Amino acid sequence: MAADPHAQLPLTAVVLHILLALSDGERHGYAVAQEIEDATAGQMRVGPGTLYGSIQRMLAASLIEEAPRRRRPSDEDERRRYYRMTAFGHRVLELELERLAGIVRVARGKRLLPRTGTA
Amino acid sequence: MRATSLVERCYRAALALYPTEFRARFGAEMLELAQHRIASARASGASAVFSEAASLVSDVARTAPVQWIRAARAGRVRAAAPYIADSTSVESPRENMDIILQDLRFAARGLLRRPAFTVVAALTLALGIGATTAIFSVLDAVLIRPLPYPHADRMVALWGVQGTQHGNGIVYADYVDWRAQNRTFDDMGVYRSQSVNLTGRDTPDRLIGVFVSASFMRLIGATPSQGRMFTDAETEIATKRPVAIVSYEAWQTRFGADSSLLGKTLVLNGQPHVVVGITRPNVQTPYGPGDVYIPIPYYPNASGLERGNRGVTALGTLKAGVTFENAQRDLQALAKRQEDEYPATNKGFGVELQPIRDQLVGASSRTSIYIVFGAVLVVLLIACANVANLQLARGAARYRELSVRAALGAGRARIAQQLLTESIMLSMIGGVAGLGLAVAGTRYLATVLAHRVPLGVSVTLNGSALLFAAVISILSGILFGVAPAWKASRTNVQDMLRSRTGSAGHGHAATRNTLVVAQLSLSLALLSCAGLLTRSLIELQRVQPGFDTHNLMTMQFRLPAVKYDTPDKIMAMFDQAIAEIRAVPGVESAALVRAFPFTGNGESYPVAVDGKSAAPGDEPQVQVNTITPQYFSTMGIPRIAGRDFATSDNKDAIPAIIINDAFAKATWPHESALGKRLQFPGDDRWWTVVGVVGNTKHFALNEPQLLQAYIPHAQRPQIFTTLAVRTAGDPLLLAKQVRDAIWRVDRDQPVWGTSTADQLLDSAVGPSRLIVGLTSGFAIVALLLGALGIYGMLSYTMSQRVQEVGIRVALGADSRQVVGMVIRDGMRIVGLAVAIGLVASFGATRLLRSQLFGVGPADVLTFSVVTVLLAAVAMLACYLPARRASRVDPMIALRSD
Repeated sequence: MAADPHAQLPLTAVVLHILLALSDGERHGYAVAQEIEDATAGQMRVGPGTLYGSIQRMLAASLIEEAPRRRRPSDEDERRRYYRMTAFGHRVLELELERLAGIVRVARGKRLLPRTGTA
Repeated sequence: MRATSLVERCYRAALALYPTEFRARFGAEMLELAQHRIASARASGASAVFSEAASLVSDVARTAPVQWIRAARAGRVRAAAPYIADSTSVESPRENMDIILQDLRFAARGLLRRPAFTVVAALTLALGIGATTAIFSVLDAVLIRPLPYPHADRMVALWGVQGTQHGNGIVYADYVDWRAQNRTFDDMGVYRSQSVNLTGRDTPDRLIGVFVSASFMRLIGATPSQGRMFTDAETEIATKRPVAIVSYEAWQTRFGADSSLLGKTLVLNGQPHVVVGITRPNVQTPYGPGDVYIPIPYYPNASGLERGNRGVTALGTLKAGVTFENAQRDLQALAKRQEDEYPATNKGFGVELQPIRDQLVGASSRTSIYIVFGAVLVVLLIACANVANLQLARGAARYRELSVRAALGAGRARIAQQLLTESIMLSMIGGVAGLGLAVAGTRYLATVLAHRVPLGVSVTLNGSALLFAAVISILSGILFGVAPAWKASRTNVQDMLRSRTGSAGHGHAATRNTLVVAQLSLSLALLSCAGLLTRSLIELQRVQPGFDTHNLMTMQFRLPAVKYDTPDKIMAMFDQAIAEIRAVPGVESAALVRAFPFTGNGESYPVAVDGKSAAPGDEPQVQVNTITPQYFSTMGIPRIAGRDFATSDNKDAIPAIIINDAFAKATWPHESALGKRLQFPGDDRWWTVVGVVGNTKHFALNEPQLLQAYIPHAQRPQIFTTLAVRTAGDPLLLAKQVRDAIWRVDRDQPVWGTSTADQLLDSAVGPSRLIVGLTSGFAIVALLLGALGIYGMLSYTMSQRVQEVGIRVALGADSRQVVGMVIRDGMRIVGLAVAIGLVASFGATRLLRSQLFGVGPADVLTFSVVTVLLAAVAMLACYLPARRASRVDPMIALRSD
């Protein structure tokens, strides 16, 4: 699908965080939820319906895809499915982060943010 | 741990709220995530579990509807993919909510912009939804809600059967055997209600006595608020104890909530009983409220508990898992064994079971409720059709608006969804307004039905009625919204924009005509039903009771058997009482009668006729009443032949009997009945017919004429009797003086059941009147809504045809021709509706058969009248738009676009 990545912008917070979580490699949904919670120091806790609702839409929009089944450690739950980012998703994430960075630049220019303590 | 697993179970159940596809794909993973969350919350304590549960609830509440919308849209997207460019865009839940909110805002704006339409549509719906909800609350209370007994679903009534007679009482001794020997019942209990005289206090009082076994109290779930219930031994014949339990309500009202009543002694029927308990409030027996519960062995009719006497009523609870049929077979086998064992008393005695709800709600009441509910549903349907029609007319008027939206890129699905949102919002407004009506309606019905619904049942607008109202509101919204939404979604944008006048075209007209035909034919069917029921009521009211109900009063009293233990004492009391009553100024005449008509009292026996042998079971069944002289003249029952009883018809004279005309004609069609002789079971005397009197109705106005006989009190005195008093003016004004007259004879004698014959007759017609009133009311509403439907349809059509009419007028058509043209259009629809409606009526009125009296289900007169009524109202509804059309100024019409 030759979709326009710009059409996906801006991303919702949940979609952005899911993409960020998957930027390190494939994850199952529960791990994504945990990573979001850790990354935001517990500020953002996505409920199951919100998480999988977003995953479903991201699958439909080809931002992510289901990873092929892989050998798993035996104690892992059969129910788990793994998701990974697509090239398209990667592009959308980059664009979104650029957009956000642009906003941050503007804010800095207006001295709304401290210059030190960058992430 | 338990709390946690409960949350998990709830979440698992809540997953069912998501669409199947979504659930199948993600359900297991969602559950896993929820489990982890719950587990980690558990580590932090109960409040964390609680807040986790709350956030899961909120997650489901926010995301499940979104998934449904997506699923619905995905279906439509597949169907209309080429038209929708952005089918793959990512929408966040928030964006989805935005769409819904946008729809809601849009709908609200649309409704506000046309206040007249909104008000008319909402009121129409409010009427339908409110009335339906009110009737539903009766249906729910009487037929659906569980009865107030511990195992109501397994509770049955036990009835005696003999030959073709069902619903007899059962023999106490049989019950004792059955209770001991059956294998299918958890327990059984017996019951017998009879008024009890309470003496030894300031004034004599009459209490409703309930003679019971201890097991009966357990079956109905009676528990004490003070003291205790009976023990089994206390209520068995061999080990009986003179104890009593007072009902909470009687304790409050009759004994002034006397805190020392427990342990006190009450003199009941002349015998001291110790109060061992006061029940909890609101104990209900299936047979009527009781003031005081007394062990069954103290039942005052000494022979009532003997073999051969079917004197008690029994209840039982089946063992869990036992079927109704098995329990019935079990008991019938026991009854058979008793027939063999006690042939003298038990020959031909069988038993049958009846689920307790069936016993409480007779087949006739059940049919009545269904009829009224059916009627109100028809009204609701017609209301929906009306609103659908209004919507379609509006949809047509909004054609341009919608076509512009479509041209700007709104998908058809989007437009349909928008219209449906509007419909549901409208129906919800109607539903809320309808609730007001439902509250008022339910309150009214509760008052009217207070004495007619089964005991232990109260008619209230409760949660299930509210839920029902919500569901029918939404369903109505969908029902009347689907046609307009579907229409709008199927229209071609090009056509829409090209159309100059924004007219709806043929598709709309056909749908609207169909709706109007449906409305009118439903109205006609409902009118036919109401018409037949009304005619039945008229027939019923036309039935002559056989006596003059005007200025006639009755009261009841029961002499205590302990005090009046000989026939002479009873007759002395009766004679003095009548003399005292006759002496009251304003009393024209007075007599005693064991069972005054329409009080529900009365008894029938098989009677042997001298010289005519009849096989056992084939003897004429005769309703026998015991009276004093001057009963007939007091009641205004005409004498046809022979004489009235006189004081000389006493215990020393030959037994005399007076029979009614029906009995005389049936038994001696070609000769005089006078001098013929009759015999009653259990009484070896022959009774000689000395008179023939007019027929009277006794239990109900619609009963087939009973064969009746009267015997003098003096020759068979009974402790229970009622009074018949004819007065010069309003009888109730004399009630106190009449009661005082009785108290001058016996200061301790309770008197109750004061009522005029007019009141009794009125209540005999009451239930039919209520059903007829409700059904007719609904039928009239249906007719008006139907008329409104055809009026609206024609008005709209005319507004679309202004140009055509203008041309006709310009070409020389006069106003009469224009009116004729419009009315012809309308009448074509009415004609079709009448044809369909009559067919539907034939079907519908058949269901009423059991409720009809004096009129058949296919009554030509009724059908003709309602057809003419419908046609006339429809004609009027057509005439108004026709007249408006005929006044069209051709110049204005032709210029209009």
